[in-house]
Amino acid sequence: MSNLTYHLRAEDVNVWFGERHVLKNVNLAFPTNQVTALIGPSGCGKSTFIRTLNRMHELIPSAGFAGKVLLDDEDIYGDGIDPVKVRLNVGMVFQKPNPFPTMSIQENVLSGLKLSGRKNANNEELVETSLRRASIWNEVKDRLNDPALSLSGGQQQRLCIARSLAMGPKVLLMDEPCSALDPGSTRRVEETILELAPEMTIVIVTHNMQQAQRVADQTAFFLSEDGNPGHVVEFGATEQVFEQPIDPRTNDYVNGHFG
Amino acid sequence: MSVNAPSEKIERRKLATKPFARADRIFFAVSTAAAYSSFVIIALILIFLVGRAIPAFQTQGIIDFAFGSTWDSAATPATFQLGPMLWGSILISLIGVVIAVPLAISIAYFIEFMAHKTLAKIVTTIVDLLAAIPSIVLGLWGAFVFSPIAAGWAKMLNQSMGWIPIFDNPEQNFLRSPFIAGIVVAVMIVPIIASITREIFSQMDRDIINASLALGGNRESTFRKVILPTAAGGVIGGVLLGLGRALGETVAVLYVLNISFDINWGSVLQAKGGSVASMIISKFGEANPDEISALMAAGLVLFVFTLIINSIASYIVAKAQPWRK
Amino acid sequence: MEKVTDLTPVARPKTAAPWSRKSPQFVLYASLASIVPAAVALGTIALTGMDFMAALFIVFLPLQIVAAALVGITVYGRRGILEGLLVVATIFLSSFVFVLLGSVIWSVISNGFSALSASFIFQNNYYIQPKTSLEFGGVGHSILGSLLIVGLSTIVTVPLGLATAVYLTETQGKSKGIIRTLLQAMSGLPSVVSGLFIYAMFIASGITTYAGWTGSLALIPLMLPTVARVTEEALRLVPVELRNGALALGAPAWRAFVQVTLPAAKSGIVTAILLGVARVIGETAPLVLTTFAADRTNLNPFEGAMGSLPTYLFNYIAFGFDESIQRAWGAALVILILVAILFISARVASRTRTKARK
Repeated sequence: MSNLTYHLRAEDVNVWFGERHVLKNVNLAFPTNQVTALIGPSGCGKSTFIRTLNRMHELIPSAGFAGKVLLDDEDIYGDGIDPVKVRLNVGMVFQKPNPFPTMSIQENVLSGLKLSGRKNANNEELVETSLRRASIWNEVKDRLNDPALSLSGGQQQRLCIARSLAMGPKVLLMDEPCSALDPGSTRRVEETILELAPEMTIVIVTHNMQQAQRVADQTAFFLSEDGNPGHVVEFGATEQVFEQPIDPRTNDYVNGHFG
Repeated sequence: MSVNAPSEKIERRKLATKPFARADRIFFAVSTAAAYSSFVIIALILIFLVGRAIPAFQTQGIIDFAFGSTWDSAATPATFQLGPMLWGSILISLIGVVIAVPLAISIAYFIEFMAHKTLAKIVTTIVDLLAAIPSIVLGLWGAFVFSPIAAGWAKMLNQSMGWIPIFDNPEQNFLRSPFIAGIVVAVMIVPIIASITREIFSQMDRDIINASLALGGNRESTFRKVILPTAAGGVIGGVLLGLGRALGETVAVLYVLNISFDINWGSVLQAKGGSVASMIISKFGEANPDEISALMAAGLVLFVFTLIINSIASYIVAKAQPWRK
Repeated sequence: MEKVTDLTPVARPKTAAPWSRKSPQFVLYASLASIVPAAVALGTIALTGMDFMAALFIVFLPLQIVAAALVGITVYGRRGILEGLLVVATIFLSSFVFVLLGSVIWSVISNGFSALSASFIFQNNYYIQPKTSLEFGGVGHSILGSLLIVGLSTIVTVPLGLATAVYLTETQGKSKGIIRTLLQAMSGLPSVVSGLFIYAMFIASGITTYAGWTGSLALIPLMLPTVARVTEEALRLVPVELRNGALALGAPAWRAFVQVTLPAAKSGIVTAILLGVARVIGETAPLVLTTFAADRTNLNPFEGAMGSLPTYLFNYIAFGFDESIQRAWGAALVILILVAILFISARVASRTRTKARK
């Protein structure tokens, strides 16, 4: 693993909500152009952690933070860094598909540009490439001006992925992207993730351990025991974490003994 | 990587609690400024009314102004005392609330717990419609349609229960009494109380109600022992909001009440009563500068009065609706 | 480990909700209990010429109470007495409100309709005396005046209310509780006080004489709480996922609001504006104190007294002649029609919103 480069690194990340310490000393390095899965039982802080990677957790008023998140060796929490600009480089896909209901399919793909006040020379080309990369182009190419809500749940989620891709992010964060989808749609989204993997760094939170094994190169296991803040128990190559876990708690979790 | 040494102190970093880009700072500054405009408006109202009311307070004395019972701009020195109006406003509002509360709670209960969905929707619309009728239209209706009818009711009350002092009426003139004004005010505040009560009812935990029913309670005992106690706070808040509105009611009362400075302590059927708000509008047209100042002072008293009642009310309503945060 | 998302709802036993329990026997008793007392009361009125209210309280109500108690006993046993009484009390008191509302609306329509004519709606009040017959003159100037005065205050109030709602929903401001309490308190502001305030600030201090714009200002404190509160509610209904979606794309807060939240809440905001206008279009006291009344059409809200529907109504009730009262009813009908249009439009706007969310 020594020849890997790391696009995104979290160093000693701590998060509080009010006085509650929810994440403690998380150190993770995400290899460039690989998929990293974050697994763990509910409430272990994995969703909170993924939000620290593009400063979305700050939207909760009582949030507190310590540590560093380095994107290409630059601390995104550094002085003079605008969180809004951070989110331009780190895209995010949420649990529930959230296309903008007042916009058409095409407008949704271009919404990132509009929302960040950017101009682009060739919008049509961008729409097509983004939708192709999210493997939804063939399904929607004839009805780009239909409302986004006319799509099925799985299509909506891939549209949201396309929307993020149109911004050309270096990193894509996915917070349980398939938890609201049926198995067929889940498979399509997983295929999309695997197609994107060679060109961008992907971090995915998932409840589903089969999914982690199917899509992830690396897996990190989060745990929050007995009211202690969440922390990383084990981090390594996916096969190793699932087949020869070092920590007995990881073994118990991946074999379904709890969680 | 397990957790040990929980006592170690970790230095927290500063998060972007304030917007970073200039456009966002302007966006938030503008909305904050707008939000404080309600504070500014209330402060300006207080400042200007106090400013204009000071001469009246100085010449009349605050105690005499609030509690005396003479209003005479022609006398030397001119005397302006608010007592009968203040008491009259309270009397009419109390009558209004006493009549409106059972009506409003019934409507709310009917909508939330008895009627089928479609009927409930229709009734809700009707209550909202009632709230939308301007008070001057109600005043016109009160003066020319309702007063003669209500005077008939008042006469019956007097004939059957005239021996009770509050229904006494030696002059046998039943028009323009606090009783009639109170009913008109009740019509105005039923929708206010009903919509707040309904909202409180609708947000109640159906599990509590179902649990009471499952334990063998019937509709009546469930209402009395479960629904009312749980909703009481919010309902009281709604009633206070209605009371505040009743105190400030101006034109609807003007046409159905004989405004008199001969104080009427509680003979609600007699054709004399008081209302601060209606008195202001009825005297304003012909007032000289001294009287204007006295009317401003009356407005100030009314404002402070309703402000206090409304603040208490909205505090109670907010406490009773924790889901609104 | 697959997440279970769909649970088959457990069928609720019928006995859990007594109000949905209805046997044919119960329906028979209930209809008997509601028909007999009414029939007896109507019969008494017809035979003895008793006053309607007296019959209602002396004959109908006691009979109805006894009947309901009897039904309660036969259906639920002894505990059913109070149950029956609760039902009777609720329906009796609720129907009172409908009778009142019906009476108001019916009297305005029946009395106002005869006053309504093209000349009444389009002509102004110049050269008209209180006793002039209704063929001449009308409320045209007052309709225009009302629209101008209310329009001007809408132009000021809507941005103010919208921005207040933005503060309450979109920012992390610290004074939300205070602002909300102040708005609630302001919604109970007596309208006459608002008029006195503007009179003291602009007219008594000699800054201006009676004019349309002072009336518009006096309506702002009355309209603002409605607009702000309903808009807040509308913005709150926009799912937080949409905002997060926009912010995660790197949108600054103001663009996320303008391009995502605002369009999603559009119909709710339209409702807020319509309800705000409906709230103040009939306000009388503030306008009596600040705009005075004019008989001629005045289209300049910044100079000269201005007529409006409520002040027209106010004056013509005060004249007290038959013809002037007739005009007052006509003006009242025009106000009610305006309120009804606003009200129905608000309903339609909020209905399209609920549909869009499905």
